Amino acid sequence: MAEKILDVQDLVVEFKTDRGVITAVNGVNFEVYKGKTLGIVGESGSGKSVTALSVMRLIPNPPGRVANGQICYRGENVLDIPIDKMRTIRGNKIAMIFQEPMTSLNPVFTVGNQIEEVLKLHQTELSRDERAKKSIEMLRLVGIPSPEKRVREYPHQMSGGMRQRVMIAMSLACEPDILIADEPTTALDVTIQAQILELMKKLQNEMGMGIIMITHDLGVVAETCDDVAVMYCGQIVEKADVKTLFTDPKHPYTKGLIESIPSFDSTAGEEKDRLPTIEGMVPSLFDLPEGCNFQNRCKVASEKCRGTHGEPKLEAVGSERMVRCFHPLT
Amino acid sequence: MSVKEQESKSLWNHAWDSLKSDKMTVFSMGIVGFYALIALLSFSGVIVSDWAKEVGDSYGAPSSEHLFGLDIFGRSVVAKTAKATEIAMSVGLITGLFTVVIGVTLGSLAGYFGGKIDEFLVWFYTTVSSIPQIMLLISIAFIAGKGLFTVYLSLGLTSWTGLFRLIRGEFIRHKNREYVQAATAIGGGDTRKIFKHILPNVLHIVIINFSLQFQFAIKSEVILSYLGLGVQGVPSWGTMINDAKLELARGVWWQLGAATAAMMVVVLAFNILGDSLRDALDPKLKGK
Amino acid sequence: MDIVSYVTRRLFYVIPVLLGVCFLVFLIFNVVSPDPTISMLGKHATKSQILELRESLGLNKPLWLQYMDTVKSAFTFDFGRSWSTKQEIMEMIKQGAIPSLTVTFPAFILSFFISVSISLFVAFYRGSFLDKGTVFICVALMSISSLVYILVGQWFFAFKLGLFEISGYEEGFPYFIPYVLLPIIIWIILGVGPDVRFYRTIMLDEMYQDYVRTARSKGLSETVIMFKHVLKNTMVSIITYVVLRIPFLILGSLLIESFFGIPGLGGMILKAVNSSDFPVIKAMAVLSAIATIVFNVLTDVLYVVVDPRVKLK
Repeated sequence: MAEKILDVQDLVVEFKTDRGVITAVNGVNFEVYKGKTLGIVGESGSGKSVTALSVMRLIPNPPGRVANGQICYRGENVLDIPIDKMRTIRGNKIAMIFQEPMTSLNPVFTVGNQIEEVLKLHQTELSRDERAKKSIEMLRLVGIPSPEKRVREYPHQMSGGMRQRVMIAMSLACEPDILIADEPTTALDVTIQAQILELMKKLQNEMGMGIIMITHDLGVVAETCDDVAVMYCGQIVEKADVKTLFTDPKHPYTKGLIESIPSFDSTAGEEKDRLPTIEGMVPSLFDLPEGCNFQNRCKVASEKCRGTHGEPKLEAVGSERMVRCFHPLT
Repeated sequence: MSVKEQESKSLWNHAWDSLKSDKMTVFSMGIVGFYALIALLSFSGVIVSDWAKEVGDSYGAPSSEHLFGLDIFGRSVVAKTAKATEIAMSVGLITGLFTVVIGVTLGSLAGYFGGKIDEFLVWFYTTVSSIPQIMLLISIAFIAGKGLFTVYLSLGLTSWTGLFRLIRGEFIRHKNREYVQAATAIGGGDTRKIFKHILPNVLHIVIINFSLQFQFAIKSEVILSYLGLGVQGVPSWGTMINDAKLELARGVWWQLGAATAAMMVVVLAFNILGDSLRDALDPKLKGK
Repeated sequence: MDIVSYVTRRLFYVIPVLLGVCFLVFLIFNVVSPDPTISMLGKHATKSQILELRESLGLNKPLWLQYMDTVKSAFTFDFGRSWSTKQEIMEMIKQGAIPSLTVTFPAFILSFFISVSISLFVAFYRGSFLDKGTVFICVALMSISSLVYILVGQWFFAFKLGLFEISGYEEGFPYFIPYVLLPIIIWIILGVGPDVRFYRTIMLDEMYQDYVRTARSKGLSETVIMFKHVLKNTMVSIITYVVLRIPFLILGSLLIESFFGIPGLGGMILKAVNSSDFPVIKAMAVLSAIATIVFNVLTDVLYVVVDPRVKLK
């Protein structure tokens, strides 16, 4: 049984805006296990990035704040600890890579310098030479050729794919327990995407960290994740292991997402001429409907969903999976 | 539904809302409006047309009747300040207009047409901006003689360089944007593209620049008047402050005080307004 | 392409600009300007007197020759003699440069450190009352004419309180110190407002960049983020801004020097204005333009050197 290293319970994150307070994350629960990848899927605005940032306590305050919940890393709630203790965890035990490798690296420092920085901060026992050697090693580990030369280069001298590799190298330099990847491949070419995802899987096998993969792309989920949580309007609407999610989705939203993946093969006899989409648009967080958030786009919505029975709760369906729906699909 | 409410309000509506909501900005707009009003009333002769009248003793101290006292000739400082407001606002306005007309025209020509026209205009701009503005002002004023017209001319001819650069940059950026290419595709000609398509997108820069130029012009007038190159025969804040040179030694502070206060308030208001306009209108700042 | 060829290319472009500057100055002083001899000789001058003076001043030469003279002076730094003092203008400039610099140079250094420190501080506490208050004070300071600072400063701190010398100057270090203290302070106050506003803006811009979020996610403290990451990125803009101000140091402040009796270049210009001394004003216009052009090229080069992102084209 894999070791549970992160346990998020009832996470609620609010943002103050000109038009009032919105709840970007509304009661989210999930666990992360060593050596396993949890995917958090959703459209933009679903709250998945905010969730990821909360784990690192990187929500800008103001205007945001964690209004409720616990984020337990190895049993300790990181929301309660003093900020300097949090800083010993960041980059060290829990690390994060971001969507835009272009702008996420500091343009005026060499990549070597930026990797060494995180080593200097958290692995103080290393000497300067040892740090330099290790940063070259990290570059080699993430598959960058001629790392001794590259280590002295600046981010702008590298391609997008290579920059993301540098980010991965930087984040894994201290061998963290958890790597949070926020849309790591969205800004990259498709071919590079595949390479980066493969790299991450390989490193996970070698280093054994747990990964939280934030994405809107179900293809990425299928490639890399062991378990999946689907988010909509700040809530998890379905949680399952990856195989079950794809073969037997229970939430209409999940089904809609899966159906809208274009595929190259058509099942025997079926002519697919139009790509199915989910009708309607994501409601504004300022103006969520009464009852189920998904009701206006749902094909199986009924009167029950419109508010008479309150909001649907996340409930177990069988063993090992949960759905938030009054009419889970069969 | 709620989605419709999220429909993008036009940049202007949004900007106006954001301007309205900040109390300091509204207050500043009020101040500018007040000064404009005084200027108009003074210009049309409705008030202070008799500012030159002697109403008391030389250097009379401030009293309930004359809030800021009297100057060396026994004239009311309040009246002079009001008259000077007319001068200041006119300097700001005319300088601003000159700046906008020259800067936008040259900048859009350079940015839009590129090539030789751009090269020439950029050379021209570099030439003019290489000479520190104060030297240019002195040089022009030197040969044009003293007076209000010289102030207009010298400031107008030298303040356009900043705007030129900004407008040219924007035109270069926008020239290759999709919406302009689309206009070409449906047969739009040059003038049409310049006026109908690109200029509106550039308007916010002009507005912001105008408000900043206004206050810079007012401050420059003071310097020019001190140098003796400015306004003659009519009081301006510059001449009033200049008079203070002799007055302070005698302990007479009221003319200095009135002019400084009057100028400070309106320049401050323009600065605040300029900042707020920039926050409201600059699309790059949205979402901060 | 390496730096040397880049610099050479840049300098090449300087020539047409310099010619343009000479043309503009020539246009103003030799073409458009009314005949200076009339004001020099007074209302009752006879025609022959005027002609004689014009001849001696070189005003009867064909226009294009006068233009060539202007260009020649720009390249040889020989601006002829002042009409009023009869001195060699270049000599006057050399003499006047030092007193100007005794005020502007220390003021420049001090206000740089003060402004950058205040901006760092204020950007660090962005959005707070301290931040907004400081910005407001800066804007308020900028709204008062420099003339007022000088008048009040001189009258109040020097005259009334006797803390500083009212005016005058004494050559040689350290004798000039009591005379330049107040001018330096005033110069600093005049500069702090706009400087802090500019630095603060670019610092805030940097603070919202993605790499700051990455740095935070690595566990770096806010102080390190500010003073290592943000500062280095803003240094490029700050340096270019600062270097472009150097030509103004040489010009000195006309007003400050005039009020405080500092025999610098600013005062020299004012005296020239008051005595219709064309050549001096012309010379200063050309010289200050040359300085501006040179420092512009310098900032371009510095930019390339300091910012690893900028590639030489």
